[in-house]
Amino acid sequence: MNDTWIVAEKELRDLRRDRLFALLIAFLGVATLVSVAVASADFRNQLDAYNVYVANLAQSGSTVTAAAPQLFPLKLLRGGIEYLEILGALFAIVLGYGTIAKEKYRGTLALFLSRPVSRFSFAGGKVLGLSIVWLGVVAALTALSLLAVVTIGHAPIQGIDVARLLIAGSFAWLYLVFWTALAVGLTALSSRLSTGLIVALVIWLAFVLVIPQIGDTMDPDNQVPGGLFATLQIQKSNELAVLAQFSAFDGIRNGLEVSSVTKHFERLTFAFLGIKDQYNQQPLSRVWAAMLPYAITLTAATAASVLFAALATTRRTLQRKQL
Amino acid sequence: MNTLLTSARHEVLCTLRARVALLLLVVFLGMVSLSSLIGWITNTTVTRVYAKILADGLTTAPNPFAGVSSLYYSRNSVIYVVLIGALMAIILGVQATLRDRKSATTDLVLSRPVNIVLRLAGQFLGLGAVIASVLAASTVISWASISVIVGAPLGIDPTLRLVGFAALSWVLMMIFALLGMLTGLYSRKETTALLVPFVIWSAVAFVLPQIGTAARPVALLNPVAALAPSDSTSFDLVGAITGPFAITEQFKRAASIVLRDDSVTGSPLASIVLLVSVLIAIAWVVVVTPRRTLRSGLNE
Repeated sequence: MNDTWIVAEKELRDLRRDRLFALLIAFLGVATLVSVAVASADFRNQLDAYNVYVANLAQSGSTVTAAAPQLFPLKLLRGGIEYLEILGALFAIVLGYGTIAKEKYRGTLALFLSRPVSRFSFAGGKVLGLSIVWLGVVAALTALSLLAVVTIGHAPIQGIDVARLLIAGSFAWLYLVFWTALAVGLTALSSRLSTGLIVALVIWLAFVLVIPQIGDTMDPDNQVPGGLFATLQIQKSNELAVLAQFSAFDGIRNGLEVSSVTKHFERLTFAFLGIKDQYNQQPLSRVWAAMLPYAITLTAATAASVLFAALATTRRTLQRKQL
Repeated sequence: MNTLLTSARHEVLCTLRARVALLLLVVFLGMVSLSSLIGWITNTTVTRVYAKILADGLTTAPNPFAGVSSLYYSRNSVIYVVLIGALMAIILGVQATLRDRKSATTDLVLSRPVNIVLRLAGQFLGLGAVIASVLAASTVISWASISVIVGAPLGIDPTLRLVGFAALSWVLMMIFALLGMLTGLYSRKETTALLVPFVIWSAVAFVLPQIGTAARPVALLNPVAALAPSDSTSFDLVGAITGPFAITEQFKRAASIVLRDDSVTGSPLASIVLLVSVLIAIAWVVVVTPRRTLRSGLNE
């Protein structure tokens, strides 16, 4: 345990001095702020349009009332979550790659492995150190998101919102550790440093961007700007009744989506933050009950990724001659 | 001239020998091949959904998919160029310039009477030839798969449009390949060389369009454009500033018009001029790289 902690501590020290890492996290923070600002500006536009509509109705003497757009504070974080699922995963890969690459490149591995260290202390220490770093990053982003919602979005935050955000944050941490550990394992296994990074990037491309994109593109409601059913003015109950008759197609589409760990993370966070209308303002117990399978798969995927990193980062793979 | 062609030929050989680059090319071609199939399956299902809605008497609106162009089936390819094509180009570009720095062969090459501009332009041409070959293969695949779907060989107009789309894709991919070459030349670490163009790509593909249109990052991956914000005056203003920098959106707009996507109207000319201008500008920045930068070592 002592060896593991020493490696983890060294990793934390290295990353504290790493300007590139600081730049990446700052970029993620700025992207989160931008997304909250854009979402709140969009809501204000909707509210202005509603007020104009109501004023016109009143002027024409109409007694018809229209429902005002409602602001749900955590919905402003949708863009931030999407950035985390795309860019967060990318940065996690880079961090995982960098932690092994620097040791191989500098030749410090030979020195470390000349000491009487246990089988898993190197990989364990690296993954532990990076997990602590991601915990700090997620905590900072959670605080930044809360601050942005209150100050930029001018939205009131309640205790339950903080609880929901903390739950979403813990899933974000699991998701980032998954990608970091995967990159650690792949870099350790590769005989060329850049190959490990590029293979990890190809996996990221496939599972973060391409597979969810195919699922999204196959959604019947995404075929027309504004939505097919909204364009045809179909009510929700009728929409569900019609779609029930195309369950085989929807099964394939959903199967594609859930083959990506990113979609598990997205569905979990969208449910807990109430971004998905179905779970908006629902009690946490109900959301937990519905989301438990996704929580289990995300946790299992992260555990598998950490195990892969530990098993792949052996003395033999680390000391393999670099081509 | 000899330097130019020798460099170009060397670049083509090195790219073809790199297994990772080949993996990316296969992924790209595979996805382009799949895109027509995905488009066809989705279109067939959605048409059946519409028929069901009509039969149930839930709508009297006309079928929004009636009379769609045969090129409708290739619209997913636009997104794959932005996603896979651009990232593939970045990796090819970074490896092109990092290769010599990593193996320290630059010193050897520059000990000969080699013109640096021709050397870098040759690498650019070599990458351009590889990317053009991949796009030519993807165009043939798209042409054949759409012809099978519609049950007849595509006519002259759609064929020319597919070729036009491939040309546009080449311009976008070369912009990112040059960006990769640039970071490969100037970065002190291999990680930075790969990461910086990825970050720029993500800012250009996601952040800039979001600022200008309020579109969510994931929604930007759907070939169907999101609706404009309700009162878009403020977004129009910001969009006018960020729009020219959002080159992936410019590409999507021009490509959609070339592929006859009815939801995008107007002329693609401004977008095409912008893309070509960016290509020329970044190519110029790459070829004027000073000799000492080429010879600088790496420090991981």
